[in-house]
Amino acid sequence: MKRLKKLIFLSLLVSLGLALSIIESMIPIPILLPGMKLGLANIVCLISLVLFGYKEAFVIAILRSIVFALATGSFSGLAYSLSGAILSTLAMTIVFRYYSRYFSLIGVSIFGAIFHNAGQLLAASLIMENLKIFSYFPFMTLLSLFTGYFVGLGSRLTSKNMKKIMRET
Amino acid sequence: MTKWDKILIILVLLLSLIGIYFVKNYSTTTGEKYVSVQVDGKEIKKVSFGANMVGKTIDIETEFGYNKIEIGEERVRVIEADCPDKLDVKQGWISSQGEIIVCLPNRMIVEIKSDKNSIDEIDHISY
Repeated sequence: MKRLKKLIFLSLLVSLGLALSIIESMIPIPILLPGMKLGLANIVCLISLVLFGYKEAFVIAILRSIVFALATGSFSGLAYSLSGAILSTLAMTIVFRYYSRYFSLIGVSIFGAIFHNAGQLLAASLIMENLKIFSYFPFMTLLSLFTGYFVGLGSRLTSKNMKKIMRET
Repeated sequence: MTKWDKILIILVLLLSLIGIYFVKNYSTTTGEKYVSVQVDGKEIKKVSFGANMVGKTIDIETEFGYNKIEIGEERVRVIEADCPDKLDVKQGWISSQGEIIVCLPNRMIVEIKSDKNSIDEIDHISY
């Protein structure tokens, strides 16, 4: 029964992440940078890291990327989002597991946002065979400070309530 | 929000500002400029600037997609693309050396290069 409950929670989180990704792809962003996103789906990844653990967070991050590609049909973006998701989850896992006495969820989420950009640029530079793409990196890290801050704030509030729900059910 | 969070934010802010400063500096070195169009990592077209080239358009059609670039006075832009988001069209004109327009779905890069490749060489060695 506990297994079933966890399965349902995880699949709910994946579908929540999918919904957030689709919503954020509809929000127009005035700053023109290729691949610039709000990273709202990172909330889901962070919540699963807090509530379940790093294995579940990886599963959710990878599943969400694949399901998003299936839902929107943009398979050319799958390599970018997968490498970004894996790298950012890895960074968040390391920071959350070993350095959580120094950093709150906001710090963890900023790390995740920065490494998400790094992963995407890495995939782009490998596919296009041009390292010049990394000249976008400082612009992206600057913007990921703001998105990371609000994603961290959102996931702190959400995970607090989610913990309550999980205890009650 | 802990003390370390604030340190992290300030550190990242400083580092990215320094990075932006270097990128800007790097892209404003002078030399004989030309436009280089690369698809899938290979340079497929080289166009030099000149008075007779102003207003000319060039079609770039490959297996990955279709783009149309327009040459202006010492500058270049993408005016048509068949990619879904059209970020390359929205980016507008680029004019200084090192600036790039990227169209990820079509794997196309429009880059302004200069004949003096010394900066490029240093770049290769450091990687």
